[in-house]
Amino acid sequence: MIRVLFFGMLATKTGVRETHLELKRPGATLSDVMEELGKRFALPPKAPYMLAVNEAQADPSTVLKDGDEVAVMPPFSGGLG
Amino acid sequence: MTPAIEDKPVRIQEGDFSVEEEVDRIKQSSRGIGAVVAFLGVARDSSGGKAIMSVSFEQYASMALKALEALREDALRRFDIIDARIVHRVTAINPGGNIVLITVASAHREEAFRACSWCIDTLKKTVPLWKKETTPEGESWVVPHA
Repeated sequence: MIRVLFFGMLATKTGVRETHLELKRPGATLSDVMEELGKRFALPPKAPYMLAVNEAQADPSTVLKDGDEVAVMPPFSGGLG
Repeated sequence: MTPAIEDKPVRIQEGDFSVEEEVDRIKQSSRGIGAVVAFLGVARDSSGGKAIMSVSFEQYASMALKALEALREDALRRFDIIDARIVHRVTAINPGGNIVLITVASAHREEAFRACSWCIDTLKKTVPLWKKETTPEGESWVVPHA
């Protein structure tokens, strides 16, 4: 089981800030999880998501393990006036 | 002894900060400082022709603080500077209000200018913060330019 967090406009779009998923196979990647989340929440596949695993930016090929915390985030917009 | 929160060189907070106090704090880090450069990000009253009543920020709190700390450490490694401090607010901020302050101290001004500019550019790309604007029509998330 992994924990998935949504932020900003993605929390608005999905209607949730947090969900949980079972990894379907050993060696499952962030890309696999994004595909499942895309189906579950009707997320557009090509949007420029920022991804993190356990609070560090990660790319879609990152292999996940049970207990990981995945963040699916819109492009950052801190510091803007 | 644990330093007071406001003494920490990297902070994310709701409350306002004092530019003067932050500059004073960085000046205290060394007598070798000959230049302090400060970048202050301020909330505007309009964006793309729309009136802005306030802006607010959401954060991925634990990751945002780590990313800001890593940003400061990276700046201290990359540039010939003596110290750097970063404070970013996360709350509703009215036009004219302070959003972010980056102060950089060095022996000579060129490196402080370069490092300060690099810090704000890098903050926008690496720190998980999201800005929401409140206009007379309602709220909307800001999509940064590529």
